[in-house]
Amino acid sequence: MPRMRVPTFLTQYATMVIVIAVVAVFVLYPIFYLFQAAFDVGLPDSRPPTAYGLDNFAKLLDYQAVLVNTLVVTFAATLMALVFGFVTAWILTRTDVPMKRTFEQLMTVPYYVTPLLGALAWSFLGAPESGLINQLWRAGGGSGALVDIGTPLGIAWVMALFEGSVAYVMISAVMQSMDPSLEEASEVMGASRLKTIWRVTLPLVAPGVLGAALFVFAEMLGSFSAALVLGTPARFYVITTAIYQFVSQYPPRIPLAAAMGVSLFAVMFLMLYGYRRVVAHGHFTTVGGKAFRPRVMRMGWLRWVMFGICASYVVLSVVLPVGTLIFTSLQKLAVAFPAASNFTFDNFRQAFSINAVRSAMVNSLGLAAISASVGVALTAFLAWIIQSSRMPGRGVLEYVAMFPQAVPRLVFAFGMMWAWLVIPLPVYGTFWILLIAYLTVFMPLGLRTISGVLLQLDKSLDECGQVCGASWTHRLRTITAPLLRPGLVAAWLLIFVASVRELGASILLMGPDSKVMTPAIVEAWFSSSSELTAAMALIQTAVIAAVMVLFHRLTRRLAVHGV
Amino acid sequence: MQSATTAPAIEVQNLSIRYGSVTAVADVSFSAAAGQQLTLLGPSGCGKTSTLRAVAGLERPTAGVIRVAGKAMYDGAAGLNIPAERRGMSMVFQSYAIWPHMTVFENVAYGLRVRKIGGADLSDKVRHALDLVKMGAYAERNASQLSGGQQQRVALARACAFSPTVLLFDEPLSNLDAKLRSEMRIELRELQRRLGVTSLYVTHDLEEALAMSDQIVVMRDGLIEQNGTPAEIYNYPRTAFVADFVGSANLVSGAVLPDRSDKDRVAIRTDDGQMLVGATHGRPFGQNATLSLRTVHLRLVSELPAGAANIWPITIRRTVFLGDVTQIHVGWGGRELIVRQTVADVFTPGQTAFLRVDPEQCILLEG
Amino acid sequence: MTKSSHVTRRTVITSGLATAAVPLAAALPQSAIAQERKVTKVLDFTTAADIAKAEAEGEFLFYSHDSEPGIASILDAFSKDFPKIKGKYVRAQNGALFSRTIAERSAGRYTADVIQFSEPSTALDFQKRSGYSRYVSPQSEFYRPEHLSNPVGDFFWIAVTFAGISYNADKVKPEDAPKNWPDVLKPIWQNAANVKQSSSGMQFVQWYELRKLYGEKFWADFAKLRPRGFDSRAQLFDRLAKGDDKICVLAEYAGYLLQKQKGSNIEFVAPPDGMPAAPLVCGIADRAPHPEAARLFMDWQMSLRGQANQQDNPYLYYGSLRKDAPPMPGGKRLSDFKLLAPTDMDAFMATRPAFNKEWNAMLGL
Repeated sequence: MPRMRVPTFLTQYATMVIVIAVVAVFVLYPIFYLFQAAFDVGLPDSRPPTAYGLDNFAKLLDYQAVLVNTLVVTFAATLMALVFGFVTAWILTRTDVPMKRTFEQLMTVPYYVTPLLGALAWSFLGAPESGLINQLWRAGGGSGALVDIGTPLGIAWVMALFEGSVAYVMISAVMQSMDPSLEEASEVMGASRLKTIWRVTLPLVAPGVLGAALFVFAEMLGSFSAALVLGTPARFYVITTAIYQFVSQYPPRIPLAAAMGVSLFAVMFLMLYGYRRVVAHGHFTTVGGKAFRPRVMRMGWLRWVMFGICASYVVLSVVLPVGTLIFTSLQKLAVAFPAASNFTFDNFRQAFSINAVRSAMVNSLGLAAISASVGVALTAFLAWIIQSSRMPGRGVLEYVAMFPQAVPRLVFAFGMMWAWLVIPLPVYGTFWILLIAYLTVFMPLGLRTISGVLLQLDKSLDECGQVCGASWTHRLRTITAPLLRPGLVAAWLLIFVASVRELGASILLMGPDSKVMTPAIVEAWFSSSSELTAAMALIQTAVIAAVMVLFHRLTRRLAVHGV
Repeated sequence: MQSATTAPAIEVQNLSIRYGSVTAVADVSFSAAAGQQLTLLGPSGCGKTSTLRAVAGLERPTAGVIRVAGKAMYDGAAGLNIPAERRGMSMVFQSYAIWPHMTVFENVAYGLRVRKIGGADLSDKVRHALDLVKMGAYAERNASQLSGGQQQRVALARACAFSPTVLLFDEPLSNLDAKLRSEMRIELRELQRRLGVTSLYVTHDLEEALAMSDQIVVMRDGLIEQNGTPAEIYNYPRTAFVADFVGSANLVSGAVLPDRSDKDRVAIRTDDGQMLVGATHGRPFGQNATLSLRTVHLRLVSELPAGAANIWPITIRRTVFLGDVTQIHVGWGGRELIVRQTVADVFTPGQTAFLRVDPEQCILLEG
Repeated sequence: MTKSSHVTRRTVITSGLATAAVPLAAALPQSAIAQERKVTKVLDFTTAADIAKAEAEGEFLFYSHDSEPGIASILDAFSKDFPKIKGKYVRAQNGALFSRTIAERSAGRYTADVIQFSEPSTALDFQKRSGYSRYVSPQSEFYRPEHLSNPVGDFFWIAVTFAGISYNADKVKPEDAPKNWPDVLKPIWQNAANVKQSSSGMQFVQWYELRKLYGEKFWADFAKLRPRGFDSRAQLFDRLAKGDDKICVLAEYAGYLLQKQKGSNIEFVAPPDGMPAAPLVCGIADRAPHPEAARLFMDWQMSLRGQANQQDNPYLYYGSLRKDAPPMPGGKRLSDFKLLAPTDMDAFMATRPAFNKEWNAMLGL
């Protein structure tokens, strides 16, 4: 006689509701407070708001310059980043440039050289009066300034160099997903190489590139470091730096900041919506389908031109900035042609003695390790639910979990700051709020990475385990986890680095006991000399680099064991 | 009603599987006797894989009953659905599903370890299974380093290792090249015989089905077209689909000539006046009927043969040399028929000849 | 760090120090104040804090406007004297510090132990909101009543900073060099002047005082030069020394001394009309989580040791108001300078919103 079984549908449904609710609270709660503050037109300093209205948005009209600045800088930076990304992706996937493998690895380094570092270094290089480039220019007989890094173009340049390394990765993936036989067909018909590129290749990669453009644009909207370091001294504000200013002023203009945050959020949201429509047809993974081996074009002597292009990108984004920081940090007062007596190790000595450096470094690394570990576990769990389970409501969960992507980090942290202030739990100003912020803000990153890995996992490997009689936990342990390991490791590393280099969210949420590196460097820059700041930035870079190398060593050994 | 001792090894009743608005399997019923191989045959999208996976427990049907060895695995009406891991069957996947992070030994041992078998017993069973598929020497090899054929054998060994009574095959040979496929067919059949397992086999390859099966279920669009032995299905196709899917056939329709037909014979006249006599095989007929003429049953002779029924003059239209057979397109009345013969008679296009076919080999199609 | 003897030549104005007189209530003699606490002597100063309890608390949190190296050095010096008590800090510009503290307290969070603001009106505002905890230090007798809070025990004037004009001698021709405040309005300083932001206490004082001296048009004219605003004096002098800006209009003497030590070619000008001065105000916060440690720290700050640190530390280089304070590095005393500071606190505080609006607009936000 067949047994009656309680349908698991109900328990699955209940679990799903709980999971969505928890994620939604963390993701949407700050947004709610953001909106609440934006519509607050009542008495200042009183919470909850005494009156609601649209006045704050009306005041935004007074700050049109800020809105325009933001758009100008974002467009310019996106364009430049796309150019960098497209050219380098093309060169490295389609031509026979020498030292290709080395370059492919080097192309990701700007991501690890945090945009703050890049901005600092380029301010030392490109400040109109004191910039090293301009000093050299004047010494060589030029007048005035060759480069002014404080202009919108200068800021966009720095943004594109460092935050646009994402463009390279995305466009490169698009290039690799194009079937080479399509081009071969064109050439067989008699079209020249150039014509083939124009009529076959470009139209084929266009949707993918457009998708990358939208994504990069959205990221640039939320950019903070470059505008903070380069724009603020030149009285040039974008929305993120304006929000930061409003919050730090006395008295702080929270509702105005919130209104700006909401407007930025709206634009970013639209961009990402467009991105999903164009590229993924609703799914958030960027590349689907097979990866081909694209045809490599023989370039002849042009190879060396390509080499030069790639090399100059690496120089501009890595070598030059790091070199400048070293050069600056070793001087008492940084000039282009220092006398021998100008060199000193004092800055480093001082940097190590400042509490902020020592404890901030340890804090950053610890916090990053925890966020990466918890984050990977969390997003792996979510990714599994969204992709591999058959629970109802998966689409809703995916949408909610990816939502933080649409919010600029600084704005999100603003909402968090405002939200958690009223919670009686001792979270505000401690590590916990930073941890929560990182986990929430990096959820999309982890989800994207792990989902990509899960997609490549053949479902039948798990089904076979099922048929062999293994329970779900047994299969997880013996089949899924080992196969996921490379992907999990990659996600861990990504979240780790993202946590360490994070600025926009951390700067608003950092407390005295929870100092972290990147905002600490910014604080130091505000209140001490540029030479000291350069020393701190270098120490940070060296520590991160050491951790990365160590990590790569460790994971390479794991990979060798036949995973 | 069958008693428990002669209960079929696999029994599927009124199975239907729907995904949202798409019906993969409409209403399918069949049963496989113990020790037999029942093959689900059909083009892609016909529902055979879904049915197999439902039996395995990897898909949840919408309605119906699935019983294995008399025990109910799924019963839609009673709300019973035993999860795959507790059904105790074994499966070979189309992609082999070899776990790349384990050795060959570990792959095969997986199911045994799950059943808490260990030590010497375990390695005995594993080695035995590997020897069955002639992969004993590869036991310590990393599974990701094997070729396709080797992986397939390991998948087979893994499926057999814990001595299941029911084996499920999801197009296991479709990723192999032709030569290897025909070799593996024979090996698989031998293996099943030796182990005495009941197999539920899914394929779209006709030869495979005919060579290996005790029983074939031809499926199309979620429904069963015909269920029978290979010989039955080949010689006495029920529908036009089966006739043309299982081997190549010419389908001839026409009006029934009732005065020349009886319960064993049916005579039809086509629209262009050709008369054809065929066997009813016990099937009923109405005013019109369609007969299936296998291409290999049609005979071409250059001179008028003796006999009365089913002899027509034809014109050779085209010959196609296919190696083992030669395919000849002939003009017959107003249409074309296809003949396949092994004899390398030389026929040139335009030549006239005579076509004959044994009425016993012209099968009346149902419906 | 060696003491700086590098004081530029400038005219020394010998007038008395014109300090803000906090409206006095009847100044009660020290002895009349009920002291329920036991006064002990530790190292070379007296304290009414319970040292054992303070060491048991083990730490305290110092909210301050000062530069990070400056705060760190104060806490370092304190921990050298009291190794068992660890000092931590939160640094923000004066206005940001105030609003952050108020926001926290309105949400029911009390994390700060000792708070220092960079000018008195902020402290008064804080006092009005009952932000301070009253503790009468035995060190109070070393300060004039006008340099303590009213009533005594909420806060005290821990040091004085004052600001003149500084310029980059490489970029500025001697004939263009400013000599008095009105000289900073010259068109040659277009896009080349820097000041602090509106959240700075010192900046508020300068705005108020120069407005009093020269009228409201002074700052309107200055705004036409599109000056740049920054968070700390370290930034101002950094840019000045590197030539990114030509003059610094809020050039704190303390910052000038430090930058000069590094060998920069900058000059300091003490305008004859007077230099805006802001006393830095320090007090214990109400509901401090570590009250005894806070009290010990306050006593230490007020003592000769603590005050000497305020004067001699190159990150500070402030002037002390202690009656028996030694001269500042370079031999000068506060009384040697002509200093300007607000006297009518209420009037001063009332202009705050006007200052914020004008200053923010001037700086581009």
